[in-house]
Amino acid sequence: MDDPMASTAVAPNAESAPRKAPRVDGRRLRSERTRRLIVEAYMALVRENAQMPTAAQIAERAGYSVRSIFERFPDLTALRVAVTDYAIAEARAHASLRDLDAPRATRIRSQVEQRARTCERWQPLWRVLSMDASQSPDLDQRITVIRQLIVMRMEMMFKPELSAVASSDRRKVVLALEAITAFESWARMRELYALSVDAASAVWVRAIDRLLPATPS
Amino acid sequence: MGTELQDAPISKPPRIDGRRLRSERTKQLIIEAFLSLLRDSPQMPTAVQIAERAGYSVRSIFERFPDLNALRVAATDYSLAQALALAPPRGVDGDRETRVRSQVNTRAHTCERGVSLWRVLLQFADQDPTGQLRQRVARARETTVGRIELMYRAELSTLPEDERFQLLIALEALTDMESWARMREQHGLSFDEACEVWIHAIDRLLPPTPAVPAAES
Repeated sequence: MDDPMASTAVAPNAESAPRKAPRVDGRRLRSERTRRLIVEAYMALVRENAQMPTAAQIAERAGYSVRSIFERFPDLTALRVAVTDYAIAEARAHASLRDLDAPRATRIRSQVEQRARTCERWQPLWRVLSMDASQSPDLDQRITVIRQLIVMRMEMMFKPELSAVASSDRRKVVLALEAITAFESWARMRELYALSVDAASAVWVRAIDRLLPATPS
Repeated sequence: MGTELQDAPISKPPRIDGRRLRSERTKQLIIEAFLSLLRDSPQMPTAVQIAERAGYSVRSIFERFPDLNALRVAATDYSLAQALALAPPRGVDGDRETRVRSQVNTRAHTCERGVSLWRVLLQFADQDPTGQLRQRVARARETTVGRIELMYRAELSTLPEDERFQLLIALEALTDMESWARMREQHGLSFDEACEVWIHAIDRLLPPTPAVPAAES
């Protein structure tokens, strides 16, 4: 009966038994909230300064002591990993697949709009998180997951076109699409060429249309 | 004429300043040690590591470079000069396939040699108070785009200005250092396989090659 799963089983006299409200562990909740505030402080600082923040800056922004940070994260790399997990979850929540069955032009626009929004929101964080990622296996693994999610999404959006070509060509097209719509590509258009979101999106729309094989009738 | 030559004073061979030569050679060895460490591990090496690899003392390094930023700038200049020397434009007047293959091969070798340094440059460019690293990053990008324009002049010349600009941005993104690194490091492609991805994509992105006017008989 000590098995926590057992408490969810319906006992024969369940109707008569008074229902207990689930116990809330206040200390744990507070600790989770502190972690979240530290993660959010980190992200806010990166968005403002486009640089990896120091522990002192994070503590100040979050309203905690530096010690509080290191009580919850053994080091700043662990905090970077937590920030990445948070970013992946949030980006997934806001990136629902739309227009999967729409005509080619609609799917390209839909994919570009979504990808542009993601890049616009997460580009500064991506730059900081992916910097030196190879030095941390945990971080490196997250970066790989993010890239895989991006590729999987493109494969779904452009399934009709990609399924019409041999697998070797399909791989080439996907790798090229990945390169062209990379975070770095977006950053270059917005920062170096000072393109508006619409102008930068237009570059991607045209390039994707050229790269994709013909849509099967 | 003969008399003039005979009467001319015998020109003295230029004096060689041995100390300066040695100092220049030491600088070069320090730069090469720095670049070699970067190839081994994609992280900014410490002064101690550089000194050890070069076979000099840490003091020798800072006698020649006021700080590590100055060393990064010097190493970048050295690498840019080397890249230009090793990668002269070839096949500029060749047919489309020859030009695509030539440009991809040159760019691939540049990326293969330079991606570690490029990452360090991007990492430290924003922190460089002298702005010299940013200047080098910009110059490297201009050189890359200039080469693309040169190699695909025939195809680009058929496009209206705005489309031409969009295509150049897409080609730049496609053949970015990180695009190369992703194919080689993350997707595990061989050098030739990665080249094929670029060749395939560039061929799809470029508009048709205009017909060469028939030579007048």
